[in-house]
Amino acid sequence: MPSVQAGYAPNLGVFLKALKTQQLEASIEHLISLLKRRQIRNSRPCAIATAHLLLRVVARFKWTDIGKLLQRIQEVGQRLVEAQPKEMVVGNIVRRVLGMIRDEAKEDRSEDMSDTASITQIDSPQRETSDPAPLRTIGVSTATASPLRFGASNAPGSTDTDSDDGSARTPQGGHRPPLMTSHTSYAVLNGLPVQQSMFNLLSATPSPLSTPPQQIDSPQAGSGINAASVAQRVAASSKDLKAEVISGIEEIIDELDQVDDQMAGYAQEHIHSNEVILTHSSSTSVQKFLLKAAEKRKFTVIVAESYPNDHQATHAAVTGSVAPDLGSSEDTSLEMFLKPLTAAGITVVLTTDAAIFAIMSRVNKVILATHAVIANGGLIAAAGARIIAKAAKVHKIPVIVVSGVYKLSPEYPFEFESLIEYGDPGRIVKYHDGNLVDNLEIDNPLYDYVPPDLVDLYITNLGAHAPSYLYRIVADHYKPEDINFHKPELQF
Amino acid sequence: MSHAHKSAKGAAGGEKGRGASKGKRGAGAGAKKPEDDREESLQAVVLADFEGHFSPFSQEKPKCLLPLANTPLLEYTLEFLAMSGVADIYIYCGAHSAEIEKYIQASKWYPPLSPASPFKSLELVKSTARSVGDALRDLDARDLITRDFLLVHGDLVSNLPIDAALAAHRARRIADKNAIMTMILRTAGLGQHRTKSGGVTPVFVCDPTKNRCLHYEEMHALQANKYLNIDPDLLSDHAEMEIRTDLIDCGIDICTPDVLALWAESFDYEVPRRHFLHGVLKDYELNGKTIHTEIVEEHYAARAFNLQSYEAISKDVLGRWTYPLVPDSNLISGQSYKFERGGLCKENGVMLARTCKAGKRTVLGRDTSIGDGSTLTNSIVGRRCIIGKNVTIRDAYIWDDVVIGDGTTVHRAIIAHEAVIGSQCKINPATLISYGVRISDNTEVKEKSRITRAKRIEDDVEEVVPSDPEIVGEGGKGYLFHEDDEDEDESNESFIYSTAHLNISSESISTITSSISIGSPTTSRSRLSSFAGSISDDGEAGSSNENFHHDAVSGLLDTLKENGDFDSAKLEFMGLRLSNDATDHQIRRAIAVAFTKRIAQLVEQEKLEPSKAAASAFGTSGAENFLKTVAVGAGKEEDQIDFIHCLQKDLVHRNQGAMILAAVCQRLYQMDVLEEDAFLRWWEECEMLAEGEAEEMARVRTKTKVFIDWLREAESESGSEEDDESEDESD
Repeated sequence: MPSVQAGYAPNLGVFLKALKTQQLEASIEHLISLLKRRQIRNSRPCAIATAHLLLRVVARFKWTDIGKLLQRIQEVGQRLVEAQPKEMVVGNIVRRVLGMIRDEAKEDRSEDMSDTASITQIDSPQRETSDPAPLRTIGVSTATASPLRFGASNAPGSTDTDSDDGSARTPQGGHRPPLMTSHTSYAVLNGLPVQQSMFNLLSATPSPLSTPPQQIDSPQAGSGINAASVAQRVAASSKDLKAEVISGIEEIIDELDQVDDQMAGYAQEHIHSNEVILTHSSSTSVQKFLLKAAEKRKFTVIVAESYPNDHQATHAAVTGSVAPDLGSSEDTSLEMFLKPLTAAGITVVLTTDAAIFAIMSRVNKVILATHAVIANGGLIAAAGARIIAKAAKVHKIPVIVVSGVYKLSPEYPFEFESLIEYGDPGRIVKYHDGNLVDNLEIDNPLYDYVPPDLVDLYITNLGAHAPSYLYRIVADHYKPEDINFHKPELQF
Repeated sequence: MSHAHKSAKGAAGGEKGRGASKGKRGAGAGAKKPEDDREESLQAVVLADFEGHFSPFSQEKPKCLLPLANTPLLEYTLEFLAMSGVADIYIYCGAHSAEIEKYIQASKWYPPLSPASPFKSLELVKSTARSVGDALRDLDARDLITRDFLLVHGDLVSNLPIDAALAAHRARRIADKNAIMTMILRTAGLGQHRTKSGGVTPVFVCDPTKNRCLHYEEMHALQANKYLNIDPDLLSDHAEMEIRTDLIDCGIDICTPDVLALWAESFDYEVPRRHFLHGVLKDYELNGKTIHTEIVEEHYAARAFNLQSYEAISKDVLGRWTYPLVPDSNLISGQSYKFERGGLCKENGVMLARTCKAGKRTVLGRDTSIGDGSTLTNSIVGRRCIIGKNVTIRDAYIWDDVVIGDGTTVHRAIIAHEAVIGSQCKINPATLISYGVRISDNTEVKEKSRITRAKRIEDDVEEVVPSDPEIVGEGGKGYLFHEDDEDEDESNESFIYSTAHLNISSESISTITSSISIGSPTTSRSRLSSFAGSISDDGEAGSSNENFHHDAVSGLLDTLKENGDFDSAKLEFMGLRLSNDATDHQIRRAIAVAFTKRIAQLVEQEKLEPSKAAASAFGTSGAENFLKTVAVGAGKEEDQIDFIHCLQKDLVHRNQGAMILAAVCQRLYQMDVLEEDAFLRWWEECEMLAEGEAEEMARVRTKTKVFIDWLREAESESGSEEDDESEDESD
């Protein structure tokens, strides 16, 4: 790629290129500073950068046991999250990787220990506190052997979510994780591959978590059974495990690449002929979604321009030209070559944000893109989304949110204000107007919080879900012990 | 630890690999297109500490490390460079270089010690350079710069993506080798703007079709004539021309190595704009070099080069204009600012009493505690500060470890590290309280006072100054800071073309700086102006005096116009005089010109009779005293005569000069400013010249003859003794 970079300013492309040659620590700091300076922003670039970095962390890490690896990833993840807490996907990807490693370790161990597992299982709480190093490390590293850890780490997490999340979460939130643990430990005992939930059985696309590929790789490791040989086995298996973890992360990266197309696959179920669809700002996901529907059907799209933060990009998306500054800074080659909706034979109407309410009565469906989705089913989206959702509510128009699962965060903030970032006021008032600059206080929020009751349907790469069902997907994708990985004070 | 070693080795390998690949790529590109060195890494030169007025703070600490919104200024600059993708950085330090070095080496930027540094190399160049010019000449001599580089100052705050400007610069340079420099300028509107420099307005004359800068001049706020001297050739050569005064000069220059060569050639250039830019543009015919402008209308770029701009930029940071360079981006590791609703930005561990109001646009550092009933607005408070109960803080910038007692009011002040303010104090606007000063309870600190505890350096001997209880109260520590006492070194580093001190006479601009720099520029000006003179006036002798004359006249004229207070004008005038080493004759000339100009104006514009006009001008409060003490000094006759000569000379080219001269003479005699002997002698001298006297001069004094005759009569009446005496003297 010789001519991707137009200038010197670093961005995602530069970061990924540098990742190959840079020292790991430098890469981490590099990403942190890029996040801080907002040179990598928006969900997808952040997710891609995080996943690639974690891949690198795993590849470079000289690990002796899983616990250390988890610790390392937690530590790196914590730094990334602190760098830019408002990009919630960073935390999501870290949690996904952590969960995946835990799964792999569990699988791996179940292969190793299937004959002795029952003994270990029963003894482990005592051993964990009394035994010398080799077994202890294993005990810590695998979730099966540490119900204590589970209970402890679950407690704050669940109280946290319970107290915040009134309706949907409460019954399952408190009980599910221990239940799942017992389930999985049974599964482990039987040496069966883990199916974490009914949901994964039904899901159209295979989640990287649910199809463990390591069964082929690792059976030969499980022969020795006594405590003395455990360390050796760990060393042997960790190599395989490493490959598995790496392939797991690569799967996540693939998922990030494909997520838009997967979501677009559902488009034709939701968009019908001659409908009028209202959307907002310039999201590739939404655009692909609509383009896919346009393959078979003719409909009308009304695009609200989302002034002042995203209107240039929106205009560019509508007209099909690549916005000058966006094209260079967020180049994922795919996005550059998206053809505009009009080319697909769709009537596109660009409208101002102020006209949304007036135009809403003519709209059949509202499709929103999102920045992040919160466990309660609410979402953080480009500023202006809430007005649209609210207007749709008044007119009883269904609101559909198109969002990859990677944007779904288990975090549930104490106050939503803390998730909303305030940008450059210069977008609203020009800086050269000295009088206004001096006398006005200008807030330019980049995002809006849309509460779950304003959303009717989520379309993720796994299918369509009601907002109240999102907690389930959260539970499937993130381990309860990882939810607060970035807040050591909430962990035990 | 072995692990660490390995990773370090890996890094070295990686570095090498990258270097190799870079080289290869560069070579490939070079083969194709010799001019296009896009793949080359970008170099930057940071001038850390050469310009700027931050007294008394900069006495003890380097300016670029002073905190702005709790983050050292230099961090913003380096952040900007990292954002622009700069690879190699040279930081030039003037004074306090050891401290800067220590800071840089401990920071994340220093590549040998911090793997996280985005830069490939960062070199601190400690030099004895005392000005930007010296530094750049030194840089040229070192031969470090081989390709285009960014020249910035260590006090730059900017979120500007520079790629577009770089590309434009490169395109120009490929087309024309003589396009040596591109300046980045930010529009700021024609009206008042807090971030525009108050004292000096840079005027850029540009050709918008080519983005070329044609002429550069600086205008002072109090300059009487708002004229530019533009070479008439420019008008014929360029079809279109823009004269812009609405630009913020953020000091970002994209330079080719030729720029350094030019600096080296002209050893008398000291500052980048007034000297270098002005000079190079002026010498276009000679050297053919062109300098271009890149005028940006989006994004933020400004320099905190004095306290006035410090305040403006602090406000901009609080207002998030510099986004993403805002406190809650936590640019320095270890910061944990969070932005909350209503614009409060606070770090972890801040303790707010339940009834305190820490509101709008406020930043609070870690472990700061605020007591009950206190109110904070538009302020920045550093780490570990203790703010008592019922304290009111408005528009104040409080650095780390400050203690403020109960019931104190702080308004628009800067309080430096570790200062202690007692309870029930009142800190009035534009106060600067330096490091470690202690203000005892129940003290009211006067407006515009600058209080420091630093040792005063005189003749290279550090001298501990006793605290002044009148200022800091009984038991307080600190004394009033006077710039005039500064050592030569200190004054040199405050090398700047700010004339913020001139603001003092215009009431409208009552910012912190105007008060701060009341004396500050004075000492530095001498050097400055002499250099300026030598360039702008093509080495004409005594040109520095032109500068002095110009500034002095405009200052006085303004005072006269506004019926202002001559006491402050006098202060300013004396400052100018000291800084320029102006001779007594020059002073008299300046005063004479100012007064005659004013009288002439009154006569012409308001149709006053000359005598009334004179009465009005000289009747300005304090004018009499001013004239007596400054213009004619200790009553020496020669001085008085000289003053009359000056008046006469200046009135030659004014309308009704003769009438005015008569009126002025009469007036001055009445006011006892000038004595009759002086008048008589002056008259005699004029008469003696006879033919030698220029025609105009003779013409101007004709009307005064009546007055002189009257004087003579009066004298002869008063007695012949005196007469004899005076005649003896005159011989």
